[in-house]
Amino acid sequence: MGLSELLATYGRNYWEALLSTWGMTALCFALVMLVAIAVTVMRVSPFKPLRVLGDGYVQVFRNIPGVSLLIIIVYALPSLNLVLPYRTCVILTVILVASAFGSENFMSGINTIGVGQIEAARSLGLSFGKMLRRIVIPQALRTTVLPMTNLLIAVLLTTSLGSQVPLDPPELTGVVSYINTRSTGGILAFGIAAAGYALTAVAIAFVGNRIDKKVRIVR
Amino acid sequence: MSAQATSGAVSIRDALYETPGPKTRVKIRIGTAVSAVAVAMLLAFVVHQFWATGQLDPRYWMFFTQMSTWSYLFAGLRGTLAVALTAGAIALVLGLALMLGRTSGIRPLAALCRVVTDFFRGVPSLLLIYFFFLVVPQYGIKMSSFWMITLPVALAASGVLAEVFRAGVNAVPRGQTEAALALGMRPFRVKLKIVLPQAIRYVIPSLISQLVVVVKDTTVAYVVSYPDMLQNARVLITNYDALVSTYLVVAVIYILLNYAINQLSVYVARRSGTRVVSRYSTNPA
Repeated sequence: MGLSELLATYGRNYWEALLSTWGMTALCFALVMLVAIAVTVMRVSPFKPLRVLGDGYVQVFRNIPGVSLLIIIVYALPSLNLVLPYRTCVILTVILVASAFGSENFMSGINTIGVGQIEAARSLGLSFGKMLRRIVIPQALRTTVLPMTNLLIAVLLTTSLGSQVPLDPPELTGVVSYINTRSTGGILAFGIAAAGYALTAVAIAFVGNRIDKKVRIVR
Repeated sequence: MSAQATSGAVSIRDALYETPGPKTRVKIRIGTAVSAVAVAMLLAFVVHQFWATGQLDPRYWMFFTQMSTWSYLFAGLRGTLAVALTAGAIALVLGLALMLGRTSGIRPLAALCRVVTDFFRGVPSLLLIYFFFLVVPQYGIKMSSFWMITLPVALAASGVLAEVFRAGVNAVPRGQTEAALALGMRPFRVKLKIVLPQAIRYVIPSLISQLVVVVKDTTVAYVVSYPDMLQNARVLITNYDALVSTYLVVAVIYILLNYAINQLSVYVARRSGTRVVSRYSTNPA
């Protein structure tokens, strides 16, 4: 199959799959940020049970393989009276795994702020909330731009787990196996999907680098 | 990454708060109690859900007391480790080659290595596995299921490892290269004898922690029906009709294995006084 023939027959499938992957990536990343912030707040709170829960959450979900988690959510949760649509299962898997790494990024962002700065803020009489708003959070956010850019790329790649369950429309990895079961797409059928991922990743990295150069704190 | 987050003498999360006075101490105590109750209720809800749906029934768990169950699971784990270690070894060589090519100073070679590195970092390993599973056989190349899972995992890891190596090379002070050049060493010899030995020592913890990513990638081995741990778990499930318990136990084994690898990398990093470079802390593709 030549490129033109492949695109004429399956062009629509590829386009829908690319949009499906982009859509899932954007939705997942937005939710990942919310969950990661919540988990990080728990981990720095003064309440021991919440700290333990937050640390446990991160250790579990950064070490569990994505496929293993997806299988548990798709096949084991229905036995516990919780049935979710396939797309929700994939999105939930990506959020759980990526938010653990997101929280780690936030924690190391907070850790780059010296203890001296906190002490200085306190001796100037800043309240706890004001210290977080004015000193901790702005600096932590500026140092996490690069890691979060990488996390966004990781989320993009992790949505390929969607190929393991029936999705309609399939995402960019699923569409390759869809096409290959119908005709011999050869290396091109794979190359188009791979280019879709790689170019998206390069574009994300480019934007992320630009933002990072603008806001990075040089220490 | 987690090295600073989970330990350290004066961790920043303790520095955030001043020494509490009597009023705040009471507030903290109340908050701790309330959150403890909330966490306990969450756990109780999960256990109740297991109990209510009959998943705590002994017939779902008793077969884990048999040796045969464990020996079968560990046979799968051996399969997982065989793939992970082979893929890791291939990725080490490929990653090092890609990095050397990229920093060689020969324009076309550097550009090529850069494109290859970015490609393997920007493509999901699952897509690479489908490539070896669906596309390669179309060209008449026959591969065993072992290589159909090992090669794509190795290629995906090589892109990240190339970046890790590059971070290591960049961490070696420029003065060392300049000094060696001034002594009349050839540039290639400088890289081989001066830069690389230091760079590799610097990135050893990061290389160990990359093994976690490789282990995770091997879990899709069932696509090519290679008998790894997850694939063997599926067989156990059809034998004992115990889906929830088996998948949970397997997930726990994976978590413990990866946790151990992570802890090892943190330990080595602390001993050698280096920092763990992960895919999250290198420059994006």
